[in-house]
Amino acid sequence: MFNVFKGLVGSKTLTRDDIQDVLNKMRDHLISKNVAADIAAKLCDSVATKLEGKVLGTFNTVASTVRNTLQEACVQLLSPKRRIDILRDAMEAKQQNRPYTIVFCGVNGVGKSTNLAKVSFWLVENGFRVLIAACDTFRAGAVEQLRTHTRKLNALHPPTKHNGMQMVQLYEQGYGKDAAGIAMQAVNYARDYKLDVTLIDTAGRMQDNEPLMRALAKLIKVNQPDLVLFVGEALVGNEAVDQLTKFNQALADHSQMENPRLIDGIVLTKFDTIDDKVGAAVSMTYITGQPIVFVGTGQTYTDLKNLNAKAVVSALLK
Amino acid sequence: MVLADLGRKITNALRSISNATVINEEVLNSMLKEICTALLEADVNIKLVKQLRENVRAVIDFDEMAAGLNKRRMIQSAVFQQLVKLIDPGVKAWQPTKGKNNVIMFVGLQGSGKTTTCTKLAYYYQRKGWKTCLICADTFRAGAFDQLKQNATKARIPFYGSYTEADPVVIAQEGVDKFKAENFEIIIVDTSGRHKQEDSLFEEMLQVSNVTGPDNVIFVMDASIGQACEAQAKAFKDKVDIGSVIITKLDSHAKGGGALSAVAATKSPVIFIGTGEHIDDFEPFKVQPFVSKLLGMGDLKGLVEK
Ligand SMILES: Nc1nc2c(ncn2[C@@H]2O[C@H](COP(=O)(O)OP(=O)(O)OP(=O)(O)O)[C@@H](O)[C@H]2O)c(=O)[nH]1
Ligand SMILES: Nc1nc2c(ncn2[C@@H]2O[C@H](COP(=O)(O)OP(=O)(O)OP(=O)(O)O)[C@@H](O)[C@H]2O)c(=O)[nH]1
Ligand SMILES: [Mg+2]
Ligand SMILES: [Mg+2]
Repeated sequence: MFNVFKGLVGSKTLTRDDIQDVLNKMRDHLISKNVAADIAAKLCDSVATKLEGKVLGTFNTVASTVRNTLQEACVQLLSPKRRIDILRDAMEAKQQNRPYTIVFCGVNGVGKSTNLAKVSFWLVENGFRVLIAACDTFRAGAVEQLRTHTRKLNALHPPTKHNGMQMVQLYEQGYGKDAAGIAMQAVNYARDYKLDVTLIDTAGRMQDNEPLMRALAKLIKVNQPDLVLFVGEALVGNEAVDQLTKFNQALADHSQMENPRLIDGIVLTKFDTIDDKVGAAVSMTYITGQPIVFVGTGQTYTDLKNLNAKAVVSALLK
Repeated sequence: MVLADLGRKITNALRSISNATVINEEVLNSMLKEICTALLEADVNIKLVKQLRENVRAVIDFDEMAAGLNKRRMIQSAVFQQLVKLIDPGVKAWQPTKGKNNVIMFVGLQGSGKTTTCTKLAYYYQRKGWKTCLICADTFRAGAFDQLKQNATKARIPFYGSYTEADPVVIAQEGVDKFKAENFEIIIVDTSGRHKQEDSLFEEMLQVSNVTGPDNVIFVMDASIGQACEAQAKAFKDKVDIGSVIITKLDSHAKGGGALSAVAATKSPVIFIGTGEHIDDFEPFKVQPFVSKLLGMGDLKGLVEK
């Protein structure tokens, strides 16, 4: 009885041994929530480093101390250090008479084109005119997919509601052509016709596919977009780490520039399919240090949200 | 090579048993820890990994183990068996019957690779001389019919679909009726991506299944999926009668462990793997040689049957 009492109250200096068991459980818990194994271990290590030698407060158990420290670390990780304000930046570009440009990239099937369409909708709702550049010239149906979205978006926001202006246009050159060139023509078109924002859709590609990664680096290098968004799905497991590391690496390696353009932010898609297994959000921000700019929460145009860091962390530690 | 990295780690861990002078609890535990870490890094479901560890531990009882018994071999074969159990549901894979209508329905999460894989499978059978066709029962995704149409046209495979009909159940029924009447042997039905959180989408899947009466339902999984796989796979299995699994995008760096967890959840074997975006980036999959290879054991006829 007295022993238990002592373990709970009384002040005590924490050693690694005291917390190791709790940390191991915590690490497994994070993995079960789909945090990449390596990152779960690193997070737990950082918690250990923070706690070692600290005096355990009265009435605190080791478990709750570890939990609280981890919680703080995760909230901090997921809270953007740098805010990306697309509406403000697009407005500024408009005042300079140039189109604001965003590139969407990522591996196959994660939701690049669909979330590009959602971003179009959001921009139009905020009064911007959008040009969608169909730079996936490879995958069957990719151009028609964007054409369908363009049609639907214009039906939701017809010219009659916008002083006779068509709010969304599609720039396409069919299949098989060089994506970087089409992107450039699209940006020029947007400038000529005073369209406010150009959204560049790219083909899905695996991070180890060198020719395709080289082509993406070229597209970004020659067009110097305002924003490079990496689209990743919340379903992804450990592979998230490799995807982001190698996309950044490829953009750096193939640009042959002193200060290459890297990934500026993340679009985390399919967040509606994972219940409380929110770990990919942690893995992706841990690797890049970049903010999650949008969260995709469904298949309709309004299913685009901001990340709620506190809610994610509470699901993570539940 | 697919899963090579995981295989190497497991082989190394097993080697630590061979190299140890004495084999005791400590050696076994450290080997199991290594293997479990490798499996977790490959996205195998954490519950399955824990189970595997416990099952191996249960087989190996150091106190009861007869002195003369070869502990090394016992441990290795216990690990082998557990890994096989992970990947092999012990069910014979469904095979189509020549000269008959075989309806195959594809289901899976959004973007997992269904539409691409439908054409790959159709092309695979067509090249083997089967009379093969495709039906697009996805009326939801923008450009879905164009995608299937372009793929099918390129591969010269007959297809059915509609730009105007909004109900996938109607299209699926019309397509299957038409192709059955024309004596097609392999009739493949592509459906929209869906997830368990949306009831209406699951209901639609059930209806398509009901009107087409598929001989086999194939669950398509992306190799990069993590811990969310199990719950999704279970839910799909509960709704429709999944008979096979195909794992796509194994040309990535992903080891496919998450997707393998779908095997446990659906109790259905992996029959093919996708290894690229092109129509022939597609290979039949055999469980036993795969695991042997994974563990660097025995003579292996290779991972796949060519
Ligand atoms: N549930 C859900 N599905 C989504 C979400 N975002 C996209 N999808 C679906 O995911 C599938 C793939 O989306 P796409 O936009 O075509 O993906 P992509 O990255 O452009 O694919 P590729 O260009 O082929 O590489 C589609 O069925 C989308 O409807 C999301 O946030 N939630
Ligand atoms: N690298 C690679 N890409 C693949 C493979 N299989 C499919 N893809 C790509 O993955 C993306 C999505 O494939 P789809 O066939 O459209 O997926 P889907 O399941 O039909 O998607 P929805 O109908 O929207 O649910 C496309 O870019 C495909 O080219 C594969 O084995 N390897
Ligand atoms: Mg796309
Ligand atoms: Mg599809």
